[in-house]
Amino acid sequence: MPARDIEAAAAAIVERSQERFRTYRQEVFKDTDRLFAYLMMGQWLFGIALALTLSPYAWEGKVKTTHAHVWAAAVLGGLLSSLPIALAFLRPGWVVTRHVIAFAQMLWSALLIHLTGGRIETHFHVFGSLGFLTAYRDWPVLITATLVVAAEHLIRGLLWPESVYGITNPEWWRFLEHAFWVAFANSFLAVICVRGVKDLRIMAERSAELEALSEGEWRKSSVLDRAEPVAVAAGV
Amino acid sequence: MATPSTPPGDGSQKGFDRIAIPTPDGQTRSLTKTEFENLPLSERVKLLMGGGLQFFRGDKPITAREALRGA
Repeated sequence: MPARDIEAAAAAIVERSQERFRTYRQEVFKDTDRLFAYLMMGQWLFGIALALTLSPYAWEGKVKTTHAHVWAAAVLGGLLSSLPIALAFLRPGWVVTRHVIAFAQMLWSALLIHLTGGRIETHFHVFGSLGFLTAYRDWPVLITATLVVAAEHLIRGLLWPESVYGITNPEWWRFLEHAFWVAFANSFLAVICVRGVKDLRIMAERSAELEALSEGEWRKSSVLDRAEPVAVAAGV
Repeated sequence: MATPSTPPGDGSQKGFDRIAIPTPDGQTRSLTKTEFENLPLSERVKLLMGGGLQFFRGDKPITAREALRGA
């Protein structure tokens, strides 16, 4: 088989392998975007239900009014969820979509923490969300999430500490403690992301190797098929 | 591609451990699975297209397809 033919066929197989790898990654991004769209809808309903359960009404004198938390869950929650849901369905797989989703998901943690009065157990939502974001197998998404949660804890901790820690006088550096544990979780989740991408590449390369094997066998059999009539004609 | 001199594996195990690659001077170069996988994809593809590779699981020769399917 001429070396130039092998070079060209090998280059085509490698190119198809790279294309397959890109397709696999896009499928992961798109599937995860869709999952988050449904999660955003669920969180919105959950936030409203939570507000209605914990603080449905307030009193202004003798007038019973809907508590601000219910409006926060309905309006703010709706705003938080709407852009990620729209992007997930209109621009699935786009790099901006997953970063917007990471951003909104961390703000959902903030809203739920606020609705529960800074309850420490609600902070677990942050860690659950980081785990969900790992499904993208794209570690920069975790960086976005970490920056949002750290900034949000810092700002809210200074302006309205009760809303995030459930106490009025936390240390100013408390957000660093929370950010540390987030970074701790991320240090492992980022490795999982990198390994996940490596697995996709191995899958794509394995397909290329099998394709190369078939191509080699086909070329060999074609040569034999062409050689047989010549041999018969020559009386060999 | 060379036919294994002993029957191929029964498929209960997966992958391969070693590969023998024929060189232009008629010798063979032996690589572990990891060494083979660390070769650039283009080189692996060219080797597989060229044929003549011999895969081994332990000391037992196996077909290329069996080696790659279970890798």
